[in-house]
Amino acid sequence: MPKPEDKKEEPALKGTFASVMLLGAFIILTWIGVFALFMARN
Amino acid sequence: MKSFDRSDSKLVLAHVLFAFAALFIGGVAGLLQSMVKSGSIELPANIGYYELLTAHGVLMALIFTTYFIVGFLYSGVSHTLGGKLLPVSRKLGWYGYALMSVGTVMGVIVILLGKASVLYTFYAPMKASPWFYIALALVVVGSWLSGFGIFYQYIRWKKGNKGKLSPLFAYMSVVTMLLWQICTIGVAIEVVVQLIPWSFGWVDTVNVVLSRTLFWYFGHPLVYFWLLPAYICWYVVIPKVIGGKIFSDSLARLSFMLFLLFSIPVGFHHQLMEPGISPFWKYLQVVLTFMVIIPSLMTAFSMFATFELYGRSKGAKGTFGWVKKLPWKDVRFFAPFMGMLIFIPAGAGGIINASNQMNAVVHNTLWVTGHFHITVATSVALTFFGILYWLIPAITGRVLTPRMNKLGMIQTIIWCVGMFFMSGAMHIVGLFGSPRRTAYNTYNDHPDAVLWMPYHVAMAIGGSILFIGVILIVYNIIGLLRAPRGETEYPIGEVSEASEKTPAFLERWGLWIGIAVALIVFAYTLPLVDMIMNNVPSPGYVTW
Repeated sequence: MPKPEDKKEEPALKGTFASVMLLGAFIILTWIGVFALFMARN
Repeated sequence: MKSFDRSDSKLVLAHVLFAFAALFIGGVAGLLQSMVKSGSIELPANIGYYELLTAHGVLMALIFTTYFIVGFLYSGVSHTLGGKLLPVSRKLGWYGYALMSVGTVMGVIVILLGKASVLYTFYAPMKASPWFYIALALVVVGSWLSGFGIFYQYIRWKKGNKGKLSPLFAYMSVVTMLLWQICTIGVAIEVVVQLIPWSFGWVDTVNVVLSRTLFWYFGHPLVYFWLLPAYICWYVVIPKVIGGKIFSDSLARLSFMLFLLFSIPVGFHHQLMEPGISPFWKYLQVVLTFMVIIPSLMTAFSMFATFELYGRSKGAKGTFGWVKKLPWKDVRFFAPFMGMLIFIPAGAGGIINASNQMNAVVHNTLWVTGHFHITVATSVALTFFGILYWLIPAITGRVLTPRMNKLGMIQTIIWCVGMFFMSGAMHIVGLFGSPRRTAYNTYNDHPDAVLWMPYHVAMAIGGSILFIGVILIVYNIIGLLRAPRGETEYPIGEVSEASEKTPAFLERWGLWIGIAVALIVFAYTLPLVDMIMNNVPSPGYVTW
């Protein structure tokens, strides 16, 4: 178990978290878009 | 501040200038190509569309990139591993440069003579002059010598600094060159064992699927050979340029090692539509391809974190307040940042390409051309352009003036606008089915093909804007070489105090190379045996 003085304060990365979530959502949406095109053409 | 070693400066500058000479000639070929494709012009009698296409691809994708990468890596290795190159490394750098230059000149002559319009992928059974293949073999062997120079400098530094963590820039340079050495073995075997004897007429036929497999064993990691040096700039240089810190040294090293592991045994995702490869092996390599998403997203996370921590240190509030604090008027940040931003749709497109069903939608369409124009020709190229504005001043003892900075900003915007039109049109018309690698053709006025025409015109407009960008970057290089004398720091970022200590296993090269080799052997051995045992030989064709 770490001693109290070893504890480092976590930096605030709220914006980073939101940014990577948006990035992931963009990837999924484009993937679904082209997959829908594939389905529509079959 | 210690100035950059003069002898090393010459070597780096020679590579950078050769790279941009290739970019200029390749740019002329690209401009003409887009005009022909849209039906805007017809080429004078003896110049063929496919000669231009081959010259454009070879000069831009192979020569511009390789020269710039070698020059950039040598500059950082010299700066971070002792302040100057060891005589052996410098000599290897110059020998590599000489060999690559002989190969480039020879290759371009053969292409322009119309003897090698086999496109830059030199796909069998299209058969070029043997001198084209020999020329490209010289380029590859030259780049190997340059890689050996980097390895030598690194090994000597490690011996003299036992137990110390190697500088991040040098570590990443070694990973990049290691990736290159491993992947070019495939194309070397294809060229030396298959294509050269076949094109000389010593053998009558070629094993087509084997040659393409060897090509793509090299062809996909080639993409990461372009990208990793851009990532070096993003991870190591950009934090310093903006006045921030590297988010995590361990994360950066681990992501590079994962790129080494997962960018090589994945070539089959370029061959999803080809017969002769069993669906199981295609599936396996698609799974391995998708593993590359992990280090890619690690890189995105790390960049966002560096930016956010910097912004917060400057008093930014709210979820996205840090965005406003970034140095938007500094081209050394702005150009690579635009490269990062455009890598988001580029990466998303890559995942679509590598998915089996969706590959059927986009395969051999202009979508693919649009894809690699936003990856290598925007994300990578804009990062390389951004590097110029500090690299040339740092190695020549000059300073970046506000005027040059402004011209750099304008060049970046021109590039983005041109690429928006050109690559955007390529992506859309590709989804409509317009094929890549074809000269102007109305397909007997087929209604589908007629609908493609406005997009082909948009591509030509975008291509023309990009050509202005090519002229401006050449002008800017001349401007940087004539800038006022002064000291410019070589920007190397420091690691954030909040980050954890880097574990030693990330520098256990034997372990990582061992895993990389095991994955390659696993993904390729049985399919290769199958291709050799069930050879469907083909004679050569000159299709142009």
